[in-house]
Amino acid sequence: MRFLSTLRLPRGLNRSAHQGPPPCDCVSPPPRQQRRLAKTFVASRGLLLPVVALALWSIVAALHLVKSGLLVSPLAVLQTGWQQTVSGALLRALSASLAREASGFVIGTVGGLLLGSLLGFSRIARRMVGPSFDTFKQISLFAWIPLISVWFGLGDAAKVVFLSLAALLPVTAHTCDGIHAVPRSYIEVARAFRYSRLQLVAHVILPAALPSIFTGLYLALIYSWLATLGAEYLLVSGSGIGNLLIDGSEQFRMDLVLFGIIVVGLTGWALNALARRAERALFARRPFGAS
Amino acid sequence: MNAVVSEALDIRHVRKRYLQHGTTLDVLDDVSLSVRPGEFISVLGASGCGKSTLLRLIAGLDTDYSGDILVAGEPVRDTSLQRGIVFQDHRLFPWLTASQNILAALRNAPLSAKQKRDAVAEHIALVGLKGFENAYPNQLSGGMAQRVAIARGLVNRPRVLLLDEPFGALDALTRGRLQNELQRIWQQERITMILVTHDVDEAIYLGDRVVTMAPRPGRIKRIVDVALPRPRDRGDARFIRLRDEIVAEFGEPGTSPRDSGGNLPHTAPAHPPITEWRLAW
Amino acid sequence: MSDTAISLAATASGNSCARRIARAWLRSAAWHVAPWLLPTLLLALWTIGSERGWIAPQILPPPARVYDTLVELARSGDLASHTLISVQRVLVGFGIGTLCGFALGAGLGLSRTLEAYVLPSFNAVVQIPVLGWLPFLLLLVGVGEPLKYILIAHAALVPVTLSTLQGFRQAPATLDEVARGYGYSRWQRIVHVVLPAAVPTLATGVRLAFTKAWLALVVVELVASSEGLGYLIVNGRQLFQLDLVMAAVVVVGAIGFVVNHLLDSLEARLRRGRPSAFRE
Repeated sequence: MRFLSTLRLPRGLNRSAHQGPPPCDCVSPPPRQQRRLAKTFVASRGLLLPVVALALWSIVAALHLVKSGLLVSPLAVLQTGWQQTVSGALLRALSASLAREASGFVIGTVGGLLLGSLLGFSRIARRMVGPSFDTFKQISLFAWIPLISVWFGLGDAAKVVFLSLAALLPVTAHTCDGIHAVPRSYIEVARAFRYSRLQLVAHVILPAALPSIFTGLYLALIYSWLATLGAEYLLVSGSGIGNLLIDGSEQFRMDLVLFGIIVVGLTGWALNALARRAERALFARRPFGAS
Repeated sequence: MNAVVSEALDIRHVRKRYLQHGTTLDVLDDVSLSVRPGEFISVLGASGCGKSTLLRLIAGLDTDYSGDILVAGEPVRDTSLQRGIVFQDHRLFPWLTASQNILAALRNAPLSAKQKRDAVAEHIALVGLKGFENAYPNQLSGGMAQRVAIARGLVNRPRVLLLDEPFGALDALTRGRLQNELQRIWQQERITMILVTHDVDEAIYLGDRVVTMAPRPGRIKRIVDVALPRPRDRGDARFIRLRDEIVAEFGEPGTSPRDSGGNLPHTAPAHPPITEWRLAW
Repeated sequence: MSDTAISLAATASGNSCARRIARAWLRSAAWHVAPWLLPTLLLALWTIGSERGWIAPQILPPPARVYDTLVELARSGDLASHTLISVQRVLVGFGIGTLCGFALGAGLGLSRTLEAYVLPSFNAVVQIPVLGWLPFLLLLVGVGEPLKYILIAHAALVPVTLSTLQGFRQAPATLDEVARGYGYSRWQRIVHVVLPAAVPTLATGVRLAFTKAWLALVVVELVASSEGLGYLIVNGRQLFQLDLVMAAVVVVGAIGFVVNHLLDSLEARLRRGRPSAFRE
């Protein structure tokens, strides 16, 4: 496999080996400019693929090369998007979805922290509840939605219940693991300092378990977002981004669907960025991990 | 600096055994030792002789034993701020800075906040880490982290400081430097110190008395008085003679077996460099 | 403390020994029984609740009925056929996704150029969850087998690509230098150093991919399918035959559980003997 070097030198310099040194210095750009050029060159390569794809798409759509009502041009998608935004429909759908996700996330996290702490601290609880919890965790969560819809209806309540469940599982698992895995050596140090139980928990166990707990929260955020979408597909009453997508699909409006996908992607990315920022704020200075 | 009250330590007939599959394993068998106030005791032995276990019993981390351990006349029932301990792995909390780690030891100390801050600053200076107060453990070298651990062990002004192979995980150069530091601190503070080590050199260099222990069952073999003036010179003839004596006690792997009279081998082994002397167990 | 302790320690045999053995046996028995207490309790509550009428059968049918339905499904062959369809979908999708993922990940990992051109776009596309693509694919390919295959393949492709990429990138430079010192060609280095070093990460990625693939299968069968385990769940729900729903859920859970365990032990075996430095 041939690998191209990162920086392509101008042709003139490539031949200099055979012809001797270049006649004057003006052939090669000064070093600092060279480096800046190199950086923009490297960064811009990532844009090539999307730009080409977008161009192809526009051409195909404009020339009607494919006979299908589904083919919409990028411009149409943008127009629909603009329309949705301006009419407030996007905001309503997005805020409904995010509000549900937030409630599910909060409830699931709180419950998960409590349950995870119980399992983490108590060996008996871990032995009695742990295996069942582990087994339950492995059943695809979405399989429970039909049952949840029987018990809680098709509306918001059922969705929030499902979202809470989706958030609860990772938080419980990681909180329990984090607390359980605090090294014995730290606990002995705390004993040497005569820490009370409360001090031990607050000043040793909690900080030591924090990275794991945070991972659990991060996963809960991601999973509850996925669960939001899934719940909106399956429990169709109410409004939300998922509903937007499914409606678009049912109405054969590809532009709506594509726009919805972009929104979903952006939201997911924003949530990820938020979590990454929080992680950096919390763990900037110490190595990620208890030891 | 206020004078620290150092105390006498009495270990009487301490026995610890584990029950495993019906057989008893004697980790410690009838260990008795009297430590004078302000004394520096080196406990020397190979792995498995129970020296670390003994230290943990003195610290109060383990209370399952028979016999008595008395500090200043009071039996040891649990851990206490009066008995500081320094572990081989520094066990600093990675989420706290060096000063915060030392401060953590003072959480239950009967001092005001200002007094605590002063104590921390004092002990940072004591171990020679001025300027590194706000460094996190992952930013410190092994030797520096161990110095923080020593400061943490001393900050409560304990009557007894227990050190469990504190320099075992460090390179030879740092080890030598920290041994000197520890000696300096001891001479300054004059608290009772008990150092567990498998390094003969270290034991003789630092201790007033060297307690050698043998394994299976863990027991005290001999207590040697190191009557050499400080600072000690590792090249001093008396130092070398003492070291040879103690090492010969443990025997050396690869030397000729004892003769039929049960006497220790006479052949003096070639002297490896001082800094590399080890019990090669 | 000293006298009694010494005397206790001295008597190593006799009554105390027998009592200690009995206590140890009890403790071990309790340890093995403990995990079953909670499920048994729940099962008992469920049964009693159904019998006493605390729980309406439309809300939650009694466990006996669920069991009967399960047996009937098995006997009639429906269970087998639906399970087979689901499993086949997962296998095909998972297979395609994993293979493509390996290829893509390897390409991105080995060629910095390819990575520079393709990875940003890949990362952007990955931001859209698998579920987000469902409506798009529904429009594109309609309800049918391709929908399932594509979706499941996508679900598997993403983790496999990322972990393959990571595996190839994280090949320790130290080992690579040793190989270079022995004059290994680039290809030899890839096959004999980079690839084996990447195996644990790959195993984890494959494990994750299967979990996601199974999840995707369940969702797509719930939303748009007329056969398979997910369909059984939805169908049962619509007909208010909750026993059918629960039976299908049990089967879904069982399959997921079994495969997870298999992949777990496979991953453990692949990781055996590796220093922890290779763990992501």
